[in-house]
Amino acid sequence: MASRDIVHYDTPLSKAFRWFSAVFIGFYLIWTLLPIFVMFVSSFKDLLEAFKIPAVGDWMGAAVFFDFSPTLTHYENLFRNLNFTSYIVNSLVAAGGSALISVVLGSMCAYSLSRIEFRGKSDLFFWIISTRMAPVVAVMVPLYAIFRSLDLVGTLPGLILAYTTFNLPFAIWILKGFFDNVPYAIEEAQMVDGATRSQAFMSILPLVAPGIGAFLVLCILFAWNDFLFAAIIGSGGAKTLPVATRELVQPQNIQWGSIMAAGVVTTLPMMLLGLVIRRYLVTGLTMGAVKE
Amino acid sequence: MTDTALPYDRAGGRSESLFRVRQILDSVESRPAASGVTEPIKLNPKPSRAYFYWLMAPAIILLACISLYPFFWMIYMSLHDVELGSAVWNNFENFTKLATDTRYLNGWMLLFQYSAMCLLLQIGIGVFLAVALNGSRYEKFLVTAFLMPMMMAPIVAGLVWYFLYNGTFGWYHWLFQSLGILGAKSILASPTTAMYGIVIVDVWQWTPLITLITLAGLKRVPQDQLEANMVDGASPLRNFFSVTLPNLYPVLLIAVMLRFMDNFRFIDSILVLTGGGPGNATKILPVYLFEVSFKFFKLGRGAAIALTLLVVTIILGMILVKVFDRQNRGKA
Repeated sequence: MASRDIVHYDTPLSKAFRWFSAVFIGFYLIWTLLPIFVMFVSSFKDLLEAFKIPAVGDWMGAAVFFDFSPTLTHYENLFRNLNFTSYIVNSLVAAGGSALISVVLGSMCAYSLSRIEFRGKSDLFFWIISTRMAPVVAVMVPLYAIFRSLDLVGTLPGLILAYTTFNLPFAIWILKGFFDNVPYAIEEAQMVDGATRSQAFMSILPLVAPGIGAFLVLCILFAWNDFLFAAIIGSGGAKTLPVATRELVQPQNIQWGSIMAAGVVTTLPMMLLGLVIRRYLVTGLTMGAVKE
Repeated sequence: MTDTALPYDRAGGRSESLFRVRQILDSVESRPAASGVTEPIKLNPKPSRAYFYWLMAPAIILLACISLYPFFWMIYMSLHDVELGSAVWNNFENFTKLATDTRYLNGWMLLFQYSAMCLLLQIGIGVFLAVALNGSRYEKFLVTAFLMPMMMAPIVAGLVWYFLYNGTFGWYHWLFQSLGILGAKSILASPTTAMYGIVIVDVWQWTPLITLITLAGLKRVPQDQLEANMVDGASPLRNFFSVTLPNLYPVLLIAVMLRFMDNFRFIDSILVLTGGGPGNATKILPVYLFEVSFKFFKLGRGAAIALTLLVVTIILGMILVKVFDRQNRGKA
């Protein structure tokens, strides 16, 4: 405890820093949450209320933001008239399907990569990860040409395959780190007791299951939030939520209320999922380079 | 499979299960010692490699189909005039034309300009925020709140900001106007300010990632070193610059590389906010590539641009993987 006392003595400078950082954090919190808050609130305003804004410089007039009577018309509009239920299903199938394929094939591949050495392994590994890093637009040009010739454009299987281009390398890369942490001795012990190779593999799966689950969720999140693949590869038959939301923006009449409601429908599930896998988020978003 | 947990079952290993373990161990110990043979029994057989190759095959084959095959297609397309269903060899024209394509060259410049602005702001704000947050009572709550923008689909983020920036009913536009920063024109409507508009959105969405990464890095800064310096009379500021920051460099480098590559990868929000305009003011290279390929459907030309973009990304990726390796070795 003694050393703690030394660290915490106050100079005017450190006091100033503490005050400044508290104020800064406060402002930052508002700045981060404000757009999300505006989105939520605007989705409950009717058209005219959403357009109300005070005169320039009229700071007190900002209270007009809260002057509205909440309505659910936009949500009704989405699900009654705009067929959003089917877009939700599309999004779920495309994101879930690709995540499942990626994690199942990815964990098999990652396990092997983690357990054996062979020549060219690092090259193979680099190829896998560079697939993930490639710019989406660049990947899409040839993919679109190929998918068009295979009649995969505008279908859910096409979209699932397209999402797998970035989810599978991600799964392999991340899960290899997980398997690396499982000591080989455990499988050895299993095999001594007469387990086959596959049984040994299966027996260590429970150890990495939480991680695999978290990255399944993260793969879903990446695919769910994607717009470019969905807009190009999925155009026509396999419209997902982000594309449907984007299509509400029309030059003549932009239906802001419905757009904000669609934004909420797209965002809310992912925010909740993000909270569930909070512990793995940094690892996932930095591709395993940084662990909390 | 019933007795799988045997060798580790120390606590519950009282009855016959313990007996079996002993038997195995006895046989292992006794035999080689007696016979003197170096490889007496295959207690730990070298795992057959075929099994692993089979396990690996599906993923590798699938990946080859959806990434390697398209890559060769890209090379093929970049060397041809691609029309609907036909491709004509055109003697590297797609590439030679790029050298004089001002929008292409401009796209590179804008891409680096955009990335540099985003990164500088994100690192500056993100690191400061992490240092301010570190060890605070509300750290957990605040970090959770800061996570929210990252969970948002970039396209939705773009739409919400488009709404906020709107020249007639946007709240941020009202704020900018009231503060006297902007005139009546929306931030996205003028070529001089549009770039700042899209930078702000990227900074809003991704600064928290830098904060999270920095926080993770801060936990690994050796506390005893900080305290020792403190005892020797170093100021907190001095301590920050000579102990904390050098310890953060590796994680920050990774953060920078990741964000840099993401700026190459994602253009969703830019497509919604400005679509590359006004004029070409925000037409960073990926946006230009999108336009060439999917608006004008010049797939051959698009493939040539994509190839150049890909090469630069792969070089960046190689550097990143090197950093990864060094980082991992440092930990072990």
